[in-house]
Amino acid sequence: MEGCPRNRETCPKLLDLIHQERKWYHDEEKNNADQEKKLELRLAPPGGDEEDGSAMKKKNIDTRNNIKKEAEEKSIFNLSGNHFSSSNKTTYAPPHISHKRTAPGPVVGWPPVRSFRKNLASSSSSKLGNDQINKSGDEEKQVQPKREGMFVKINMDSVPIGRKVDLNAYSGYEQLSFAVDKLFRGLLAAQRDASGGEGEGKPIIGLLDGKGEFTLTYEDNEGDKMLVGDVPWQMFVSSVKRLRVIKSSEISSALRFGCSKQDKMKN
Amino acid sequence: MSEDEEDQSPPPSDLRSQQQQQRPPCSPNKSRNCISSSSQTFPDHVLENVLENVLQFLESRTDRNAASLVCKLWWKVEGLTRSEVFIGNCYALSPTRLTQRFKRVRSLLLKGKPRFADFNLMPPDWGANFAPWVSTMAKAYPWLEKVDLKRIFVSDDDLALLAHSFPGFKELILVCCEGFGTSGIAVVANKCRKLKVLDLIESEVTDDEVDWISCFPEDVTCLESLAFDCVEAPINFKALEALVIRSPFLRKLRLNRFVSLEEVHRLLLGAPQLTSLGTGSFKHDNQSEQEQEPDYAAAFRACKSVVCLSGFRELMPEYLPAILPVCANLTSLNFSYANISPDMFKPIIHTCHKLQVFWALDSICDEGLQAVAATCKELRELRIFPFDPREDSEGPVSELGLQAISEGCRKLESVLYFCQRMTNAALIAMSHNCPELTVFRLCIMGRHRPDHVTGKAMDEGFGAIVKNCKKLTRLAVSGLLTDQAFRYMGEYGKLIRTLSVAFAGDSDMALRHVLEGCPRLQKLEIRDSPFGDVALRSGMHRYYNMRFVWMSACSLSMGCCKDVARAMPNLVVEVIGSDDDDENREFVETLYMYRSLDGPRKDAPQFVTIL
Repeated sequence: MEGCPRNRETCPKLLDLIHQERKWYHDEEKNNADQEKKLELRLAPPGGDEEDGSAMKKKNIDTRNNIKKEAEEKSIFNLSGNHFSSSNKTTYAPPHISHKRTAPGPVVGWPPVRSFRKNLASSSSSKLGNDQINKSGDEEKQVQPKREGMFVKINMDSVPIGRKVDLNAYSGYEQLSFAVDKLFRGLLAAQRDASGGEGEGKPIIGLLDGKGEFTLTYEDNEGDKMLVGDVPWQMFVSSVKRLRVIKSSEISSALRFGCSKQDKMKN
Repeated sequence: MSEDEEDQSPPPSDLRSQQQQQRPPCSPNKSRNCISSSSQTFPDHVLENVLENVLQFLESRTDRNAASLVCKLWWKVEGLTRSEVFIGNCYALSPTRLTQRFKRVRSLLLKGKPRFADFNLMPPDWGANFAPWVSTMAKAYPWLEKVDLKRIFVSDDDLALLAHSFPGFKELILVCCEGFGTSGIAVVANKCRKLKVLDLIESEVTDDEVDWISCFPEDVTCLESLAFDCVEAPINFKALEALVIRSPFLRKLRLNRFVSLEEVHRLLLGAPQLTSLGTGSFKHDNQSEQEQEPDYAAAFRACKSVVCLSGFRELMPEYLPAILPVCANLTSLNFSYANISPDMFKPIIHTCHKLQVFWALDSICDEGLQAVAATCKELRELRIFPFDPREDSEGPVSELGLQAISEGCRKLESVLYFCQRMTNAALIAMSHNCPELTVFRLCIMGRHRPDHVTGKAMDEGFGAIVKNCKKLTRLAVSGLLTDQAFRYMGEYGKLIRTLSVAFAGDSDMALRHVLEGCPRLQKLEIRDSPFGDVALRSGMHRYYNMRFVWMSACSLSMGCCKDVARAMPNLVVEVIGSDDDDENREFVETLYMYRSLDGPRKDAPQFVTIL
């Protein structure tokens, strides 16, 4: 991947610096001084690219750029070739210089192809070797835990709009159950009746004991659907991925098959 | 109230007939005018009405902008009669200003995040929220019919508010949007009874496990266009089939990959009136119970009106010939999700004589492009995407393909081409062969790649493009470029409105050439190029006339950005990216600046500093 031919092909400028054929050699501005620096920098390891490290962190794109996951130290980071090279005062290097120095790692957002195009290309016959790029555009579709809270989506049968709840805001199942009632009571009432004007509608109770009209279930990190309330609260919080309020009458059919969603869809 | 308003604002054709009948100025249909102008003197009132009747017919927004500058009266009347509003940057003004200026808006086209956000150059949650817009419009424009959003954050609640606030709502188009899921779509499907268009294009749609297709009303629908190819969630096919059957006006249907080829087959048999089809997954399920394979070609044969074909996800190439019956009619073909080899491709393309728009992956190789050039003489738009979008990938297409296209497709207007190897000669040839080019976007994926035959920079090639393609309005450059390329752009690129630069140029002079030489420049996006303070300052005379400037990973200092912000109070100067080493950082990571009538936004996240 990175060998002499590539270097020759991609950075003739460097060689030409030696041969002095390049036009921009004669440009005004600061280039002349910089060119000396460029020559020096060329030989040194790509140290001091702190911008790359901070850039990655600050973007907080965990899944988007697996380089961040893999490169825990800044030095490795630099070798993998991120090119926010222009931002560092001590080792400022125009892009083509740093390009030569660093390994051919992926640069964020280059080539400029949107993430869904990258994913789709890899889903057909031949899998691409470099999965990093493919994943770099990925976004977590289901749940995106925010920094401060632990938000999971919660849907309720017969209510079209889902909601999100911050599980860190509750200390136990009781509070969660109460929150669900608050969230959905009004929506459920609106869905159910056009006539009544009962105002708020009936409270949603009995979510955890199977005695109410509705029961609270969840999908855990392994994709299994479970009843809420069986395991200690903290264990639940650490494994839950999303919540669903289902009709108590449908508990057995909803929970029996892991892939109940697909089954329903096929019908 | 909304229904009354609808009755009161007739479409232009009615207006024409009214004028012929010579009704008095204060006709019932203009009752609101009568009320508002009761205090005006008679001549003004007449003039305003006449003006209104005339300006109703003005559609082009540039014409309207010009008309509104004539005088205060014209400004006011134009504001009353503009029904379609285009806002290129959602932060250029506040929603309140919109509703105060334009009173009878039926259609809004709103754009949010800058384009480089698509490539992860911007952290998430930057902004561009639909919420303030929808809530303001809900009160001001109850008759709103169309909303077209690009790169906007739309939540499910926003969609619900939209569905509930606009009873006459007809068209929802979401391009490159995010923040919502199938539950929001379900509400729109259910509540917008007059919905004609529901187009979800390249958007992130969360799977809320809601059967939104079943949420459409059960009687005959008004649907004309339904596109959900970007929705990564399974679909209730039975409900979809029933929906298509009760949608007699449906012309455009773009399915997602969860619809199988067999199901597409059934849909086509039941919907022969389609003009535009996006297939779902294009593979045959070998484990299906049917003994005989469905005759896919027959289904396509039945669709005599299909002129636009896309989809082809998860393609099994042996099934591609099924589309042959419609190829002769095709004006638009999108193979950009399909990994098709030249051998499978050539028999197909040889029948597509009417093709005007063609998108594909570079897997068709130069050979495939030569076939396109030989057959598609009417081609206007070509987009070739990389199957393997990495810098050091093979690159099956090169200057050979582009040169062939330029020789065969003389009417070409728009090019987007990803490759690994290019030559100046090919670009020069294209500049001569295709004088109609308005959009030229070339992405040589390996950074700083020179002409691979001569070893020289790509200056002359791009220079020829800007010089000879006199209609060029959009340009994206790549490869090894010196300041000379930018000198050409400044000298010849007089009509350029959008310019995209990455890893190019040597010095500030390059950017100066562009800022000083391109009077029509509206949108400037630059990344990883050695442009600094001198260049930024040199463009200050232009920034109020531009929509935005994006510069990331360049050599701009915070001090200079602050100077610009200070000197130009109506320019919002955003510095993006939280700085860990604030003091040590010499250069700003990302600068995004844009003009604004209502000052800096209030919803900027922590990592954005507005100077």
